[in-house]
This record gives sequence, structure tokens and C-alpha cells, in this order.
Amino acid sequence: MTSLLPQSAPPTAGHPGKLIQPDWAEIVRITPETEGISTFWLRFIDPQVRERYHFQPGQFNMLYLPGYGESAISMSSDPEDEERLVAHTIRFVGTVTKNIGRLKVGDVIGVRGPFGTSWPMKQIEGRDLVLACGGIGLPPLRPAIYHIIRNREKYGKVTLLYGARTPKDLMYPDEHEEWQRHDIHMEISVDRGDENWDGRVGVVPMWFYNFRIDPRNTAVLTCGPEIMIRFVIYEGLARRIPAERIFVSLERNMKCGQGSCGHCQIGPYFICKDGPVFPFSVLQRYVNVEEY
Amino acid sequence: MLDITISRGTTVALSKAEFDLLLADLRENGYQTVGPRVQDESIVYADIQTLADLPRGVQTEQEAGHFRLMRGASNNYFDFIPAADSWKKFLFPPRVDLLTVRKGKGWEYVETETATPRYALVGVRGCELAAIEIQDKIFIRPDFYDPTYRLRREGLFIIAVNCLHPAGTCFCTSMGTGPKVQGSYDLCLTELDDVFLVEIGSELGRSLLSKRKYDLPSAFVQNIANQRLARAVQEMGRSLDTRDLPGLLTEPENLEAARWDEVAKRCLSCGNCTQVCPTCFCWDATDSVNLSATQASRTRVWDSCFNPAYSYVFGGNTRPTIRARYRQWLTHKFGAWKEQFGTLGCTGCGRCITWCPAKIDHVAEIAALREEVNS
Amino acid sequence: MANPEVLAELKKIPWFGTLSPEHLEKLAGITTLRPVKAGETLFKEGDRQDYVYIVLEGRVALEIFVPHRGKVRIYTCEQHDVFGWSSVTPLVRQRTAGATAVLNSRVACMDAEKLRQICDEDRDLGYLVMRRLANVVASRLMVTRLQLIDMFANPEEKNA
Ligand SMILES: Cc1cc2nc3c(=O)[nH]c(=O)nc-3n(C[C@H](O)[C@H](O)[C@H](O)COP(=O)(O)OP(=O)(O)OC[C@H]3O[C@@H](n4cnc5c(N)ncnc54)[C@H](O)[C@@H]3O)c2cc1C
Ligand code: SF4
Ligand code: SF4
Ligand code: FES
Repeated sequence: MTSLLPQSAPPTAGHPGKLIQPDWAEIVRITPETEGISTFWLRFIDPQVRERYHFQPGQFNMLYLPGYGESAISMSSDPEDEERLVAHTIRFVGTVTKNIGRLKVGDVIGVRGPFGTSWPMKQIEGRDLVLACGGIGLPPLRPAIYHIIRNREKYGKVTLLYGARTPKDLMYPDEHEEWQRHDIHMEISVDRGDENWDGRVGVVPMWFYNFRIDPRNTAVLTCGPEIMIRFVIYEGLARRIPAERIFVSLERNMKCGQGSCGHCQIGPYFICKDGPVFPFSVLQRYVNVEEY
Repeated sequence: MLDITISRGTTVALSKAEFDLLLADLRENGYQTVGPRVQDESIVYADIQTLADLPRGVQTEQEAGHFRLMRGASNNYFDFIPAADSWKKFLFPPRVDLLTVRKGKGWEYVETETATPRYALVGVRGCELAAIEIQDKIFIRPDFYDPTYRLRREGLFIIAVNCLHPAGTCFCTSMGTGPKVQGSYDLCLTELDDVFLVEIGSELGRSLLSKRKYDLPSAFVQNIANQRLARAVQEMGRSLDTRDLPGLLTEPENLEAARWDEVAKRCLSCGNCTQVCPTCFCWDATDSVNLSATQASRTRVWDSCFNPAYSYVFGGNTRPTIRARYRQWLTHKFGAWKEQFGTLGCTGCGRCITWCPAKIDHVAEIAALREEVNS
Repeated sequence: MANPEVLAELKKIPWFGTLSPEHLEKLAGITTLRPVKAGETLFKEGDRQDYVYIVLEGRVALEIFVPHRGKVRIYTCEQHDVFGWSSVTPLVRQRTAGATAVLNSRVACMDAEKLRQICDEDRDLGYLVMRRLANVVASRLMVTRLQLIDMFANPEEKNA
């Protein structure tokens, strides 16, 4: 099959001669983000792996916790991190992730990756960008934000639309100011506010609200719950942004990350290798087929 | 021995006694010879030593949800049509230990020695060989390979066999995979009452055969073989119109056809069809620990898109209904597969029809879908 | 004659820019401008419905008081958002939510009673106004539906 996006290089952590054998990494830092979500900073134990491991914004790793299993988790750190640490922001929901949540600094975890396609940072140079995300959809976009900041002059107007359930669910609040300083316009909103919240209440990620966009020169990157993604797409298309320039990141059950176990399929695509980032144009046929 | 030069493409006549010697030669060369045996009123693929281990004089009666062994008219070894078991288990075993780790300072791998078996498959049908070649595209790709599959596949010796008595659920002619074997094999048999006609498909096959006593087949014998093959085409149990595939099963509006609701009422979501299918490749990795939790293992097992856990994501299931799962299976096999791997995912072996406890006939389902969307 | 300051403010709102000068004049004639301080309440649940508002700048929150939970903030109105629209088509003849400025804001207040009159007299304008209000209601309904889905919730909590 011809690839839709620049295909990623083969994984550099994990053993090609074994089906799903990870490399080991030590947890060097744990940053609690919000209730039930923390960021784990990992350093590969093998210096060679540390050296050769590189990822692109939007890619993911398979994290292995012996005895529990593996989970697909996006990288949420700067791909060019000076300490060569790799961060994952993880929501503790089930067998693997809840037990990752019990780990401490110094504990060791298995890592295979990086897998999948990435946000098309090169292809969208020169464009105005709308980054629309909600909930646990922000972490996979954070590497893209770092990339934009580092190459700020290569992108036009950048708007980050970010929605969360309540004010206390907003992630990375310490960094928002820094992002804004680099001329990233942020619109944050929560579904449920309280009297102390003076920000927006509503559904910002789906509404490119009262800001003007130039559809001929805007690209949209979106990640979050699938319903949210659908509404971002509706809004983007209504604003006449072509489907080829709306990029979405999808989630499906994943076991291998390499187009072998079959779990992550949607139509002809294996989300683990043909995605997770797709231009919407290739998914358009399927978006309204229920339970597909 | 006759002084005939044999090469790839040559067909010789080999007596059945000589064939047994050929099996012995294979074992001598380190191959484990596996082939069909009668077991539990069915036929399985297992170790065989000589032709005597095979289902001699046995034919099969197969219909949707129906399988019976019958006494055949002849005493031949390959008159039956395979049952639920397929060669898949030798290349893509139902259970494989993937890794074991031990808790030390961090985690370390416990190396386990696993010798890769070398199999000689005896009696691979056209549809079955096509299935292996389909799985090759999944498990051995430029960007990825499955080590278990690849090592086993590379060491494989294939003795194929042309089908002369198709069963009621067979439709290999529609899929272009049989009854005459189409793929790459080492040797290919056509069984007549007293001899095998053996076509040479590889250098390895030629060199093995060169040690045996064989004859050039007479024109008469070849003629009989050809007639029987032609008759097999006529006797094909089912036929599937593939002209509008994969489109029929990938067009979004067809994915919402009423037929899916109808078949969903009958399907039990048992996954039998995927387990017996020689091309189905989905797997899961399961985890286990020892009692003191100091050692953990991962095992690969066959999975099925009919299994609710298959499409589970936190907070729900992306295919929560039987309708969605059946549709995924059929549209993958006869639709999306083509775009993924350049071929449809079905070889027309008929197993999924025979072994469906709800008697769902997928060939009929496709025809019914076609009728609905074209009317 | 409408107040020129009001007229100038309304012209900045994209939708008003599409109206004819006479229509704009009529609407400006029933509109007053009002600054509201952060924390100041514009109306409370249960109040009589007298105005339709448009945010000129700042942010105004709509809130419903729920026993044991206090004031629940359901929606915030941003620049150029219309709120208090139910006063034009009074289903319930009193406010069903309260409105409080979150930031220092300025709002345009349109006399609801007069607006209804103008729309009755000039059906062309009435159509345009009602169409605009229908859009406002539709988008508010959409937002409410999406909030109802509670898409960012941890599914575990939602099931609990
Ligand atoms: C490409 C990709 C990127 C992701 N990035 C992140 C991230 O950055 N941070 C984060 O917190 N989560 C992320 N997820 C979701 C994460 O993979 C799941 O929450 C996690 O696998 C749940 O596993 P569990 O064992 O804790 O839960 P369980 O409910 O016990 O899982 C049971 C099974 O379902 C699978 N599963 C359950 N939910 C999901 C899901 N949403 N996606 C895929 N498989 C699932 C698991 O792999 C496991 O096999 C990502 C998923 C994908 C596909
Ligand atoms: S889909 Fe059915 S007929 Fe086709 S190869 Fe699989 S089991 Fe055989
Ligand atoms: S089609 Fe038949 S074999 Fe397949 S899952 Fe349904 S009931 Fe089981
Ligand atoms: S995760 Fe295994 S095929 Fe995609």
C-alpha cells in the first residue's frame, strides 16, 4: 500500500529479531499533572538505544510493564530534549496504566518504538495552524508545540484550542504562559466552570469561534475524544479548510504497533502504522459509518 | 532408474511405495513430515511417517454447518477435503512464548532455547498454498517480519496436491486458487489409483525426487489426470462472483445495508470462522507471572475480531455489536484486505462455511448483500 | 436618531454589518451600552426579561443555582455573543439563568419589548432578527449537547 504520510523510520527501541521484545528504560522523574494523570520521564538504560532513539511529534511507544502487559502511549516531551529523556503523560485507566501509576522514580519499564506517523510538521511549514485538542489529547500535541516554538518563524498564526472537563483538569498550566510568549494564541475552555474560573465555559476545541482564519492557508491538527475530533472536522470543513489539511490522530486497541496483530484496523488502514495521524481526506469515507 | 533428466516443471509417475521412501528421505534430511490423519471423526494435520497414516479411502461431506467422513469409492489417500485444521498452526502457532523476564535490579530477559522445527507439509491443497502465500505478505514484509513465522517458513518443504473431489463448501475456482495448485511448491501430486503424478516445483524437490524410482507418465495416464481435474472444476460446491469485489464490501453506503442486521441475528460471534480460516492472522499477547511475581512472561495467542476484547478501548468498544464484528470480518476478508496486501483475504477453502455452527454461508451473504444494494 | 456611539459599536459586530442602514438605525435606536464590572450581576434567575444582550468586550457567564452545588457555570459568552435571547420569544416569562460578568465587560442592551414591536411592524427586519436568533439558539443547543456528552470525562466516573 502506498503510504499517505511520510512513513516513519523503523523503531529504534525494541528487538527486530523478536516479536515484541522491548528495551528497558528507567523512570527518572514523575510529574503529577491532574487527578489520575502523571507524566513519566524515561531514560533508556542502554546508552546505544539512548543515542539512536529519536521520535517525531505525534508518534507513540508501546510501554511494557512485566506481568501486566503493554499500552500504546504517545510521547509528550520535546523530541529534541537536551537530556535525551522521553516523556509520556499517562492517564491511569486500566490494568497496565493503573499499575504504571504505582511506579516510582528508579523503577524500570519496557519500551518499544517509536511507532506510527507523525504530525506533518514539515509539510505544514508556512501555514497558519489551529491545534484543537481536548482532555488527554493535549499530550500528543505537546511535542508539536515545542517544535513550533523552536521553529516559530516557519509557521504563521498559531492558535491552540484546548478543552477540558473542569478547570482542575487542565494540563501543563505552568507552561501556558511560555507558549503564549512564543506567540501561540491559546483559547482554553472547560465544560463545567465554578465561580473561581474566569475563563471560558463551552466547547472551544470544536469552535474556531470568533477568530478569523484564512482557509487557503490554514492547517488543523486535532487530537482528543473521537466525538470532539468529529466536530472539529465539521467546523474545519465548514470554514472551507480542505480535508487534506485537517490532520487527526486516532486511537484503537493496539497490541503490536507494527501492523501485525490486526487489532487497530479501520477499513484498509492499520492505525499503528498508517496512523495514528491521518489527513482527514483518507478517513472521510468512513467517518460516519457507525461502529466501523 | 530410468535415464531421464528431470527439472523444474517435469512431471513423473511415482509409485505409492516410492512415495513412502521419499517421506523417509525427508525425515532423514531433518524434516518433520506432517500430513492429514483421521482423528475424532475429523481430519487433523499431525506427524505422519508413511502413507498408511493418511485417511485412506475417505471422502468428506461438507455443507454449511455440516461435516462428515464417508467411505469413498476408491482407496486413495487424498480424496477427502480438509477439515477445520489448517497448516496455519505450523507457521503461526496458536500459542508462542514470546519472552520471559526476571526481576533483578531492573528486569532482565531469561533466554529460552527454542529450536525452530523444519516441517515438510504433505498434501497442501491449492487453496491452502494460496493461504500460506497470503500470510507471507502479512508476516514477512520489508518493514517488519515475525521471527517465528519467518524462520519456520524459510525451512518449509511443501508437497502440494491437486484436488479431485471438491466438497460442497469449496469455491476455490472463484478465487483462482484451485483445484489445480497455483502457488510455489517443491513437489505437487496428482493422485491416481496406483501412482502419483509428481510435478517438480523446486530444485530441492528435484534433488529429493532424483533419488527415487520413477517413470515418465504415459499420455494415457496424464489424460486421466487432466480429465479428473477438469471434472473437479465442474464439481465445485459453490461459486462466488468476485467481479465487484472489493468495492461491494468497502463502499461506505454498503456498510450500512440492512443485510448486516439480518445476518447479525444469526451470527453467534463465536469466532469459529476466524479460527479455522487459514489466512486469519490476528493475535493477542497475554501476560502471566509466577507466584512470587519475580518472573513474568508474554505469550502470543490467536485472537479473533469476533472477540469483544479485540476492539475494546477504555470506556467502550469500537465494535460493540455482532453486526459490527461480522461486518468487520467479511469486509476485511473480501474487501479491505485487497488494499492492504494486494489480494483478497480468502482462498475459497470453505472452512468458515462448514464450521459455522449457525450455518452462515458467507458466499450467500455476499450474494444477498449484492442483491440488496443493487436493487 | 440613534445614538452615534451605539451605532458605531453595533457596526463592529459582523452580523449587524450585513443589515441595511435603516434596519441598523432602528436597532441602534432601542439599544443602550452598559459597562459591567467583573463580578457584577446583569440579571438573576427569576428576574423579569427586559433586555437581549450582546457582549461587546469581556466575558459574561450564565449560571444556574443548584442546591448543594452552588452556582454552576454553564456557558460563557464571549465577544459578539448574544445572550438573554429568550426574552424575545418568551416561553417562560422570567430569566431561567443568571448572568454575571466574569471579566470587566461592556455589553449592548436591546430593549426586548421594543425589539418585538419593531419586528412585528417591519416583518423584513423581523425575519432577519429571528433568523439570527435561531442561529444563536442552534449553536447554544449544540454546545449543550456536547457538554451533555461529557466527552472529556473519565469514563469510569461517568459510569459510576
Ligand atoms: C496511538 C495511541 C496513543 C495513545 N496515547 C496515550 C497517551 O499519550 N496517554 C494516555 O494516557 N493514553 C494514551 N493512549 C491510550 C492508552 O493506550 C490506553 O489508555 C491504554 O492502553 C489502556 O490500557 P490499560 O491496560 O490500562 O487499560 P485496560 O482497560 O485494562 O485495557 C484493556 C485492553 O484494551 C486496550 N485499550 C484500552 N483502552 C485503549 C485505548 N484507548 N487505546 C488503545 N488500546 C486500548 C489495552 O491495550 C488493553 O489491551 C493512546 C492510545 C493509542 C492507540
Ligand atoms: S474466508 Fe472462509 S473460505 Fe475463505 S480462506 Fe478463510 S475459511 Fe477459507
Ligand atoms: S459467522 Fe458463524 S462461525 Fe463466524 S462468528 Fe458468526 S456464528 Fe461463529
Ligand atoms: S497494533 Fe497490531 S496491527 Fe496495529
